[in-house]
Amino acid sequence: MLSRLKTLTNRLNAQKSTGPNTSHGKRISSRNSIKHGLNVKVDFESSDTYTSLKSLLVKQGCSPFEAADIATSLLNYRRVMDAYYESYTQPEEVDEFNWNMHLPGVHRALEEMSKDSEVTASEMLSVLRVFARSQRDERRRGGPVFRRTVDCHKLIRYQRNAISRLSKAIRSE
Amino acid sequence: MNDLVKSLAPFLSNPKLLPGESESEFQASLEGLLSELENPSPLNIALVTQLNECLWWIKRHTVDKELLLHESMARILSKVDHHIEFYDNQKISSALESFLASNASKNDKKFIDDLLKKAELTVSDLRARGFKDAAKHLKMADELIHRQYQTMRHLQRSIDSVDFKSRLIKRMDLELADLENKTLTINVKPS
Repeated sequence: MLSRLKTLTNRLNAQKSTGPNTSHGKRISSRNSIKHGLNVKVDFESSDTYTSLKSLLVKQGCSPFEAADIATSLLNYRRVMDAYYESYTQPEEVDEFNWNMHLPGVHRALEEMSKDSEVTASEMLSVLRVFARSQRDERRRGGPVFRRTVDCHKLIRYQRNAISRLSKAIRSE
Repeated sequence: MNDLVKSLAPFLSNPKLLPGESESEFQASLEGLLSELENPSPLNIALVTQLNECLWWIKRHTVDKELLLHESMARILSKVDHHIEFYDNQKISSALESFLASNASKNDKKFIDDLLKKAELTVSDLRARGFKDAAKHLKMADELIHRQYQTMRHLQRSIDSVDFKSRLIKRMDLELADLENKTLTINVKPS
């Protein structure tokens, strides 16, 4: 069990965690909600699909309350599975140029270019480092299969919640 | 049965197929599952359709596991030759793919053989190293498959529950009809 002092220290340290600091981090986190859109609350109940599905379930013998719960859960599950499909079929594209860039070749080209200019060796090296870093980042993310596996993996919890909700709605019928 | 499936189409977005996947195979698998149900209700059909989709996701992720391994192996090979001016990762991937499937062209075979020789690796060594490098992502793919199995279990229980309830309601209807008949018989008897 954590001591009182440790708990207080953790709380104080948590105050310092105010989200991403770097512009790269901010750019990434700014896209969190628009990647799959599953964090956005959807009002299924005002849709025609919901009304039709609900009336179909009522005809089947469900009470209106149960039918509403099942219809919402079923539509929510489909929404998650559609997002899953989108993540699978449209992973972030591999930047082939960046991936295949031959760094010694780039180095040579930069040397050639710097011959007639006032660019210093250290400036050239820092440019090369930028190229190397972007290539490393690109390769670290892997190819298309790696990327779609990571993207789909992020949706596991949404799928788990959606199916639990659906199952609960049907079994409590 | 098909009419019932179609009647649900406007309400629920149907599972989509990937390019190259057979629609008829998907439908055959769905019909196989639906044939297991006696008098399926629209809800049962919707649930079975989701179950069929899970089966397809399991197939896709299983194929992906092999693809992850191939991609990782291609990446190891691409690191071998630092001296070539330009190496195309996709070229290595596709050459390796056909090499492992034993249908590589002469050029592709030579290309992969040369890279393996330079790396001083055999195909099984390369596979082992590829497995090690892609371990994290292979685990993710396994978790995706596991998730589909768990989803299927939930769906199966839900289908059972709907099926059981409809059977129960049918039995109760029969018992009620029987009771009604008995009551009528009692009424018509002279006192």
